[in-house]
Amino acid sequence: MKVYISWIVLFLILSAGSAPGLCLAARPIGAPADALSPQSVLPARTSDIPATSPKKPDNAIQDEYNDDKNLDYDDELSKEERITIADPIEPFNRAMHQFNDKLYFWALKPVAQGYKMVVPEPARISVKNFFSNLKFPARFVSCLLQSDFAGAATETGRFTINTVWGIGGLMDPAAGKELDLQKQDADLGQTLGVYGVGHGFYIVWPVYGPSSPRDSVTIIGDQFLYPPSYIYPWYINRGVWAYEKINHASLRIGDYESLIGAAIDPYVSIRDAYIQYRMKEVKARQARSVLFKNTGGDQTAKGLSQPEK
Amino acid sequence: MQKRFTVFFGLLIIFILSVPVYAGAPMTVVETTVNRVLDVLRDPSLKSPAAKETKTEKLRVIYKDMFDEMEFSKRTLTRNWNKFTPAQRKEFVDLFERVMEKTYIDKILDYSSEKIVFYKETMVSENQAEIQSKIITSSKEIPIFYRMILKDGKWKVYDVVVENVSLVQNYRTQFNEILAGNTPEQLLEILRKKVKAH
Repeated sequence: MKVYISWIVLFLILSAGSAPGLCLAARPIGAPADALSPQSVLPARTSDIPATSPKKPDNAIQDEYNDDKNLDYDDELSKEERITIADPIEPFNRAMHQFNDKLYFWALKPVAQGYKMVVPEPARISVKNFFSNLKFPARFVSCLLQSDFAGAATETGRFTINTVWGIGGLMDPAAGKELDLQKQDADLGQTLGVYGVGHGFYIVWPVYGPSSPRDSVTIIGDQFLYPPSYIYPWYINRGVWAYEKINHASLRIGDYESLIGAAIDPYVSIRDAYIQYRMKEVKARQARSVLFKNTGGDQTAKGLSQPEK
Repeated sequence: MQKRFTVFFGLLIIFILSVPVYAGAPMTVVETTVNRVLDVLRDPSLKSPAAKETKTEKLRVIYKDMFDEMEFSKRTLTRNWNKFTPAQRKEFVDLFERVMEKTYIDKILDYSSEKIVFYKETMVSENQAEIQSKIITSSKEIPIFYRMILKDGKWKVYDVVVENVSLVQNYRTQFNEILAGNTPEQLLEILRKKVKAH
């Protein structure tokens, strides 16, 4: 008798323990359980809808191309990205987009390619690090304004270490494995975003590229917080600026081309990429900010990091 | 009795452990697939430029195996999907696949020795997951997230997020804009031209 009971208990415990595993494995093959989200019900649901096309023997394959009622895709991941921007000055923007496109293909790219052939990659990376180090004031101030004090401290540490041990910023020992002080990509337009200021509308500036009234603050603020902009006379100032752009482009040749190549309408594609990129940046910064840690910014971070709702 | 308990606990442990292993599947799928791609790219017998077509063919098989193009197409068209006739839908899915191939095949074949690291798996819901990875080159790190969906017992990729930009969302905005002023046939014509171009 005792033996029987222990066998029953054993069976119960085992079936309880293995239930989640069995259910998961069985679900996609068997009838979908009601607990599943709309997407996984899709294949089954479509077969319930009376087919618009005449029934064929290979119905299973044809069904995939039938009408679909569940096309809203309101799951957490796609919801967060569904973001658009007003574009009232589209004709101007499209013209500027064309201008910047030509500027890249006719001027910047050939120069950057020539420069790339002459200067080896490690040297170009050092140049990039050097200029990046000079942008420390802008990043530091933005971190402070965003009340991301840990970020501000990280930036200060990076600046000190890289200036002293990285030969004036040519190298980036702070980001190495031992110290792991990563660059804080904070800027002023993004700071406004952290405090809830919206983009306004889309602008494509000649030379500077995609922006918005809010993000244009970054372009102007940069001028004040970027030491090289105080270089005098103006032509050396502009020369330094152009050199930085060429050096940067030489490290990213091909990126713009593939973005354009993948796009059906490059103008719209870049606009959307810009908006998506900035939005996620703002969200990531909000999650770091002392003020917003427990409100909006963190909610999305939580939703992503926790598997169970 | 002693023996039975040993067996009992042994089985218990096995069943308990088997649950988290299952949850780890999507990351394994992506990692295995990426490794299969790398194996093709590194294959010394396919090094010559003449073998490009063979390589492409092999990659195409892997791509079909891991990528859920139906889900991808539907998510980019969303409600516009129903405006297409079934024949147009089929053509759309095919054309879209060829646009993707055309755009990315050279980039993929250009791969040299960049390091690819998979570092995080997030279960968004029971049948959706996001795998975070990054490509590390000498001058930069590119974050690439794979979004996956479980269908018919198989994890497949339906969206790729490169540097925080979701491909699905990006194409959705473009198709929405195009279909606001054009018919599905006109969109297909644009895609046909894109596939044919150079």
